[in-house]
Amino acid sequence: MGKLWAIVKRELIAYFSSPLAYVVLTAFLFVNGFVFWLIVAYLNDPRTRAMAPLRLLFGGTMYFWLLLLFVVPVITMRLLAEERRTGTLELLLTAPVTEGQVVLGKFLAAWLFYLFLWLPTLAYVAILASYATIDPGPVAAGYLGIALLGLLFASVGVFTSSLAKNQIVAAIFAFAALVVVFSVGLVENLVTNPALKNALSYMNLWDHMDDFAKGLVDTRRLVYPVSVAGLFLFLSMKALETVKGR
Amino acid sequence: MIEVQQLSKRYFDREVVRSVSFFVPEGEVLGFLGPNGAGKTTTMRMICAYLPPTSGTVKVAGVDLAEDPLGVRARIGYLPENVALYPEMRVEEFLRFRAAIEGVSRKDVPERLAYVLERCMLTDVRRQLIGTLSKGYRQRVGLAAALIHKPPVLILDEPTVGLDPRQIVKIRELIVELGRDHTVILSTHILPEVEQICQRVLIIDDGRIVADGTPDALRTGFSGLSAVTVELEAADLGAEELLARIAGVEKVERLAAGRFQLAVRDGKSVRREVFRLAVERNWLLTELTQSVPSLEDVFLRLTTREETLPEAEEVQHG
Repeated sequence: MGKLWAIVKRELIAYFSSPLAYVVLTAFLFVNGFVFWLIVAYLNDPRTRAMAPLRLLFGGTMYFWLLLLFVVPVITMRLLAEERRTGTLELLLTAPVTEGQVVLGKFLAAWLFYLFLWLPTLAYVAILASYATIDPGPVAAGYLGIALLGLLFASVGVFTSSLAKNQIVAAIFAFAALVVVFSVGLVENLVTNPALKNALSYMNLWDHMDDFAKGLVDTRRLVYPVSVAGLFLFLSMKALETVKGR
Repeated sequence: MIEVQQLSKRYFDREVVRSVSFFVPEGEVLGFLGPNGAGKTTTMRMICAYLPPTSGTVKVAGVDLAEDPLGVRARIGYLPENVALYPEMRVEEFLRFRAAIEGVSRKDVPERLAYVLERCMLTDVRRQLIGTLSKGYRQRVGLAAALIHKPPVLILDEPTVGLDPRQIVKIRELIVELGRDHTVILSTHILPEVEQICQRVLIIDDGRIVADGTPDALRTGFSGLSAVTVELEAADLGAEELLARIAGVEKVERLAAGRFQLAVRDGKSVRREVFRLAVERNWLLTELTQSVPSLEDVFLRLTTREETLPEAEEVQHG
């Protein structure tokens, strides 16, 4: 446990000592701030139907997904690819730590950084709360949905970073893989076969976020991201065992 | 302390290490010598439990690699070739990280940290970013990281490569000191380094051990050729050819204008003949020395396919 935490801590130090973290943070806040303004402006229009603004902010617009599809690969691209490129992986894996601990440590660091990105959005909640009463249930559930989505996305990013030696390649692969992971569930709306539709609804991330933003916490919406993250982390571990030393 | 038996590594159809066996007793400093691509690094990486061997066994301080790879890692301090460190970390921060992943208990960390900083002469730069350090300092940070968990065994892969001469001397002194209380395997292709530091030498070529012994034993036992250096003034153009014709001379190399190195078969002294030739041709002989076979000769003889002395530049740079 101490070793795992040491890896997480080192990775967090690496995040905050590189300009990338601040660039990502700034861009993330800028886009989210713009989207928030847009949502508030939209809902203020008397012709629109009344709706909880945070439900729109948490996955209700395409901006949310666009941002995440770009931001998560940027967060995760460095993790293993850079260790392999510079050769620090050799030093890391000649210490008594397992590949699993390395993968998990890096993944957790990326996930914590992702959560950190969302932290300033609590200000939006505070702003809204000062103008209207806010139901805390859906807000908490919305953040839970975001955290779970982070597990899934970050695990895909870790996996592509374990395969590539080049960060940019890792990021592009992660982006491509995430577009697929995101789109697969949307196919639900196109098929008519009930069994297939059911299976696809399980993977529908848009509905995943929408449910949470409505305050609906369904166990299968918990199981899907956690199990996919588990699978990708396992694959990353296997990939690391295979590619090290090359 | 280190027991390696029939260790092999194969990548697809390419055999990089072929059935290597050796034993390193406690407290010995073993030099691992071989040309680039001979399999030194691969062998070391297998001993360090980084790469899994294709076959064979390794035991480090009584721990079997196959049974407990993490136990083996815990007992080895490893300094890889071209030490790669995290440039964004501070020296002390990095060493604390290493201590944590090496499993040094929290209460021992301050003492170990102070020890390695002092030992590797890093106390002055403990708060500096690793990325801002010179190559020599970074090498010492790598060494400090290898020592932090008090390993009984140290494995150092070409620890002096890329350093300036003053840094090389410092690192060598440090390794000699460390050799007093650690079992050390050191790989290098710098021959004087081996003679200065190591009690025993393994020469490895094409994945096989081709020689094993003390530097002295290797020098006397294996060298077939010795060298005679001749410097002539006022020599004519045919000098090289005439020198080559002397009985016992295997090969003549031109080191500079009028300066030659003759490769000579064991025991044969050709100096007499050279002198006679110089008198006969009216050359002015300004140098005539026969050098004791060096470890370099042994090394080159064992690791060169044809039984000839290799090209001049290789001899010079070793």
